[in-house]
Amino acid sequence: MVPAALRFVSLALLAAQLWSAVPEAVAEAARGAALAKEGQFDLAIQHYQAALRLDAHLPGLYLNLGLAYFKSKRLPEAAAAFEEAVRADGNSFQARALLGMSYYGCARYAEAATQLKLAAQAQPDNLELRYTLAQSYLFAGQNAQAQAEFQFLVSKNPDSAPAHVLLGEALDASNQPDAAIAEFEAAVKVSPAPPDAHFGLGYLYWKQQRYAEAAREFAAELASQPQHAQALAYLGDAEMHTEHEKEARAHLERALALDPKIRLVHLDLGILAAASDADAAVRFFREAIRMDASQPDAHYRLGRLLHQQGREHEAEAEFEAVKKLAAEEPPPPLIRLPGRPHP
Amino acid sequence: MSLTYPRTTAAVAVAIAVAWAIASGQTAPPPIHFTYRPIDFRLDSCETPRRHAPETMAGGVALFDYNNDGYLDIFFTNGADIESLKKTSPKYSNRLFENDGKGQFHDVTAKAGLAGTGFDDAVAVGDYDNDGREDLFVGGVHGNHLYHNDGGVFTEVTAKAGLTAPDADYGPLWTAGAAWVDVNNDGLLDLFVVNYLAWDWKTEPSCEAAPGKLDYCHPKFYKPTPNQLFLNQGDGTFRDVSAEAGIRAHPGKGMGVAAADYDLDGLMDFFVTNDKMHNSYFHNKGGVRFEEAAFNAGVALTEDGKFISGMGADAQDLDNDGLPDIAFAALDGETFPLFRNLGKRGFADVTRAGGLSRLTLPMAGYSPTIADFDNDGWKDIFVTRGHVQATAQSKVQIDQPNTVFRNLGGTKFQALTGEAGLSAIPPARHRGSAVGDLNGDGRLDLVTTALSAPAEVWLNDSPGEAHWLEVKLEGTVSNRDGIGARIQVTAGASLQHVQVSLSAGYASSSAAPAHFGLGSATAATAVEIRWPSGTVQELKNVAADRLIRVREPRPREQ
Repeated sequence: MVPAALRFVSLALLAAQLWSAVPEAVAEAARGAALAKEGQFDLAIQHYQAALRLDAHLPGLYLNLGLAYFKSKRLPEAAAAFEEAVRADGNSFQARALLGMSYYGCARYAEAATQLKLAAQAQPDNLELRYTLAQSYLFAGQNAQAQAEFQFLVSKNPDSAPAHVLLGEALDASNQPDAAIAEFEAAVKVSPAPPDAHFGLGYLYWKQQRYAEAAREFAAELASQPQHAQALAYLGDAEMHTEHEKEARAHLERALALDPKIRLVHLDLGILAAASDADAAVRFFREAIRMDASQPDAHYRLGRLLHQQGREHEAEAEFEAVKKLAAEEPPPPLIRLPGRPHP
Repeated sequence: MSLTYPRTTAAVAVAIAVAWAIASGQTAPPPIHFTYRPIDFRLDSCETPRRHAPETMAGGVALFDYNNDGYLDIFFTNGADIESLKKTSPKYSNRLFENDGKGQFHDVTAKAGLAGTGFDDAVAVGDYDNDGREDLFVGGVHGNHLYHNDGGVFTEVTAKAGLTAPDADYGPLWTAGAAWVDVNNDGLLDLFVVNYLAWDWKTEPSCEAAPGKLDYCHPKFYKPTPNQLFLNQGDGTFRDVSAEAGIRAHPGKGMGVAAADYDLDGLMDFFVTNDKMHNSYFHNKGGVRFEEAAFNAGVALTEDGKFISGMGADAQDLDNDGLPDIAFAALDGETFPLFRNLGKRGFADVTRAGGLSRLTLPMAGYSPTIADFDNDGWKDIFVTRGHVQATAQSKVQIDQPNTVFRNLGGTKFQALTGEAGLSAIPPARHRGSAVGDLNGDGRLDLVTTALSAPAEVWLNDSPGEAHWLEVKLEGTVSNRDGIGARIQVTAGASLQHVQVSLSAGYASSSAAPAHFGLGSATAATAVEIRWPSGTVQELKNVAADRLIRVREPRPREQ
């Protein structure tokens, strides 16, 4: 809260600034504001820019220009305008929050988090802002901060399934799979569970190779969304790994019919076909390779199958593709080569 | 007074519940259990803040009877000053501990002449001159050593044996493992040497795990080097046949070797794990000729085609079908793969299908050793665990406890860590491991090493009264250790197989007797030994719970 005396001082300063402004600039800015109110953002931007040319220090001008850009989804320009607005008034909650939102929209998540954190200090109970801040942390890879924010949101909305889902995602990103699963489990207990909550929980189980539990959750997702091709694909995969091949094949084929672009389906159908129908398996593996040749799994499986069929040249080509992929694979990102000499 | 009865009832109910809980705990003891015993050895790899690659790779250990007194002794390799690669301090000494048979181990390193001189990693035990005394090959960074056992005292014979020449193309090599194997069945043990990667202190890159925090570099920053095969000439010398045998043409970043006759053709083959490269499978075609066939055999990669950090390896028959299967360790997120031997059809990756994948996904390991720790007739897998890196990060657990994977009857396993007593001491960066019955109680014990930490002796005190049989071979036409012999034991309805090989896990060497758990059977109805010479020997109705010594019959004795 701004004390009344200070508010008076602020208003007095604003009045003094406007008093000293170029009148034509004030008129252009007013025209821009009127057009923006009518939703004519492109025209509004033109008037704001004209005002800027006349008086770059006109109070609130960058904020309004930024808003016009923002509304017309020209986010990089919006961010640049809000940067100026923040430069002009570092205490402006609006300018900082909108700058953070613009950065977020531009996928500049670390910068978004910095601005939104400062904005959130001014309005700590602004949950929409805190939500975007949490997402920014998550996407910026600042997992501990993301968790803290999502935990705050969950504490404010303990019955909010989306909040649990988001906290679960943050925990998963921080390599805390058990805690992530607990949040997803809390999310699916809310009735009705939000779309994809069961799928997300199943996926977490699947990543941990807890295939029976994964299959249960994928099936639960399918109960409410029978056409969920991804859920069908992963359900089939989980069933394949728990030796329920008949069910796996049925679910994978349904997934294929719904969405022929899921690579996992082609790979798995190839694996299932390899024992009984090698030609079909070859076709599935080749399709998986066509969809993404940078994954070694289909190359390797295809190579082994071709070798078993005595097609040695083709097999060798697939094995060479695997070796080439490995040679091109960069080392883990955390390990780098500074190339410094020894001391 | 009116409350007396209910109160008493409640108290009795609670007491019964508590007693039941206690009793339940007591009636379900862990099927495999070890008790920690300290030993006065600390592995010192000269770990520096610069994190030079060899510093994280030390730690081979061997169990063998160096003085033929019937008790297993322990030999540890040790590091050296990382810059000079010399043992500039007693703290770097290799160590030999003599088992007095009364539960004590005494340091006899100096007397035995085994202190060593360089940065040593691997140890391979084998009687290469068939004189009845186990010799030692010690491999390390840019220097290997062959020690001839003169009767409890060792003489270094590396130069005399012809094992000192540096590689003409690759320069000095870094040995991470070795195996004594008779590749041509001439009765003489040959030496297969696993070399890691090209490393030079002066030109090694620096790598960061986090800003300002140096850690060990990814293997991609180093060039591969070839493995070596030295043919025993029978006169105390060896000939490097790596090129003509087809080994040298396949350089890798070798970490472990599992020697076995995988296709039961009477010739020993080699499976070699490589670090972030595909594994090698050297199939023995006879006539000291090998073909590298890892991709065709299905052991080059895990089933999803990933290039993982292959660490130590071991091979034995895990599903009792007579064919040696392959287990090896890797890092977290990679699983500890298990390849089931399908005979002529190669191998199948059964890591995921058997559930081992899920159990091992978060683990990092070095040294797997396959043996029957609960004597139930199914061989289990013990793995030393610990990360290759030294810097803790959110996704990397550096220090880890060891784990034994109990075989539930084939290729399905139960992971036992704390339950098996293996969390009795703090986790560490474990490295080598060797298996043998140190106290003659019929239960297989373990010795493990850990970086910058004391070595660990794990005495097996698993409950139950399962029976066992140990078979110690003495070759006469075949090599004296009987390495490569296939032993089949029939006991009750159980049929088990062991292929004799001393090389074990990572850089280590296990005790020679072949160990069989017989479960409830008090005798083996048949013991069949297929010697490398081709001789087949059969023993009938062998009583359990003892070690038997079996001498290979000479042709005229049959």
